[in-house]
Amino acid sequence: MGASIPQLLVNGVALGAAYALIALGFVLVINAVGAVNFAQGDLVMAGGFVAVAIAEYLTPWASENLPELAVVGPGSSGVGLGLVILPLTMVVMAVLGLLFSALAYAPLRHRPPVSVFISTIAVGLILQYGANAVFGPEPRIGPPLVVNGSFALGPITVSIQQLSVILAAGCLIAGTGLLLSRSQLGRQLRAVAQDPEMAEAIGISAGRCIAITFALAVALAGSAGMLLSNQFFVAPSDGGLFMLKAYIAVTLGGWGRLDGAALAALLIGIFEVMMAAFVSYVMAEALLYAGVLLVLLVRPSGLLRETIQRRT
Amino acid sequence: MIRRVVLLTALAALATITTSPTIANAKDAYIPILVPITGFIALEGTAQRNGAIQALENAPEGVTVTYEVSDTSTSPEVAVTALHRALERGKPVAAAASIFGTQMLAMAPIAQRAGVPLITVSGTAKLTELGNPYIFRFFPGDEVVKVAHARYAVEVLGAKRPALLYQTTSYGQSGRAQLAKILKDLGAPLVFEEALAPSVKDMLPALAKLRAAKPDVILLHLHSGPTALAIRQAREAGIDLPVVAGSAMHQPSTAKLLAPAQLSGVCAESAASPISESDAKLVAFTKEFRTRFHTEPDAFALAQYDGINMVLAALKDGADNAEQVRDWLAGHTFEGLAMTYKSDGKGNMAHDALIVCYDGASLLPTIAKRYHNVDGAL
Repeated sequence: MGASIPQLLVNGVALGAAYALIALGFVLVINAVGAVNFAQGDLVMAGGFVAVAIAEYLTPWASENLPELAVVGPGSSGVGLGLVILPLTMVVMAVLGLLFSALAYAPLRHRPPVSVFISTIAVGLILQYGANAVFGPEPRIGPPLVVNGSFALGPITVSIQQLSVILAAGCLIAGTGLLLSRSQLGRQLRAVAQDPEMAEAIGISAGRCIAITFALAVALAGSAGMLLSNQFFVAPSDGGLFMLKAYIAVTLGGWGRLDGAALAALLIGIFEVMMAAFVSYVMAEALLYAGVLLVLLVRPSGLLRETIQRRT
Repeated sequence: MIRRVVLLTALAALATITTSPTIANAKDAYIPILVPITGFIALEGTAQRNGAIQALENAPEGVTVTYEVSDTSTSPEVAVTALHRALERGKPVAAAASIFGTQMLAMAPIAQRAGVPLITVSGTAKLTELGNPYIFRFFPGDEVVKVAHARYAVEVLGAKRPALLYQTTSYGQSGRAQLAKILKDLGAPLVFEEALAPSVKDMLPALAKLRAAKPDVILLHLHSGPTALAIRQAREAGIDLPVVAGSAMHQPSTAKLLAPAQLSGVCAESAASPISESDAKLVAFTKEFRTRFHTEPDAFALAQYDGINMVLAALKDGADNAEQVRDWLAGHTFEGLAMTYKSDGKGNMAHDALIVCYDGASLLPTIAKRYHNVDGAL
């Protein structure tokens, strides 16, 4: 084997961390509206393209005014523009999340969940075709969060982008957890997720909370899109892959469990890399789906017990 | 419920696939363009579309053509639906058809029943081995480009222990089969090979196993994004072996994903490389293409351009229905911009290949070697 197990673990954790961000937004929407958001993968893809667009817009300005910050394109060596692009991407995506909520969810709120997830499929298709029309079909490379390059840590070569993905995902996941568990807004969001009618009865605006949840979920998807776009590029057709991994993570982790989804996403990333290294990619994929079936058979509520009892 | 979802999704997709609904004039020759402009092969499909459009927009005097573009996306079903719709709209004299081999294999029998020639740039070898007289392939098939691919690695780079990463798609399987056979015949059998789905993002596991096999050259037969990912991750992992990639690497948009230094030691097979050529006609083609589509042309665009131009030449020469166009394509030699085209009796029209290499300092490849009439059909 040409790479050490720690090296593979680092790659697996970085991949899993990005999957976790995707899964997190997925779970938030499931909890808030009780339906699967099939556009989640395409929202990740959209986040990647938003980051590319912002980077292309900012780079000429930064090159002129802050040359040490100009960081776009493969092999560039500047520092720091990605740290500006990440929050900007999340803001743009949060606005998209509000629009998503207003156009694709709110009009169907009192319809059966099937209406909502058909509507999310339509949004996903619109995003995919829209990205293709605006940016073209070719893969694009997003900006690094901090800087391109890598460093040696004993026998392991750690890419700075990989480390950035792990740290950024950790911060965003922890931040989301704190927001939901420790803040008044988080308590309101959870109240609406658990029982919207009762929440309305005690003066919480369910519509507002659901819109905020969509904004948060889509912002998280956008952050994942930006973080992945540098390491793995971004193309309009990437959404399906991300969606599939998020769905598996949520199913394995426990339907509606934020911590379960994050844990399962990490495990999926590590499992994929390890199995591909020691067996093959084809077997890794097959065994992943076999594992999902096994978990559903042995422990249908997921690795951590699910918080809501309905699966669409 | 699931059926409803599938039905609605299909309807939504169908609603978006036709991108240029032009109603055919009964007097005009009708040439639909049925190519994937969304999905994982959209880059190549878009190049096809652009090449076809540039040819049709420059139709010779006296030839009037109506065309429309339909997106075949990535599934055989959508491609077949697009072909059926084109057949319902009028009797095409020919159709520009998908680069995606899986879709071509699905469309081929329908085109044969309808008697409509399909003009494609798909490299899937099996396509012209089906005995279907309506398939015309203007991009050299794997039996041509993979010979150049393998011979360059062995005869020029001196490879004795090549390793191969290929795609799990029909394109990948077909190229893998040809490469394995040719390399064995050349006395340099593969020491490692692994199939990668187009969705694989982290290639370190494959690269780790590849390195452990101690190869002396890396061969890639992957689509655009995966090609760039494999090269980038190999270089980041300290694997500095020479790389001879498939035709995706000659595409300017693939090179743009990499730093020039990462491209040091990287070559690629292709049918042509318009941006690397200095011939006046090719320079004019490239200039018009850039102006028209705001992007760089690649070999797929040029091959589709040449293919449609051969159809237009048939129309100019008096062919006025699909059967006559088919006969003309099967029986004539055509001087295209990329090469000379002539059917080998199975619909393989292209018989040349070339190798381009990057110098590690720029993203513009130079032509390292040309292989003429590889299969001896000219």
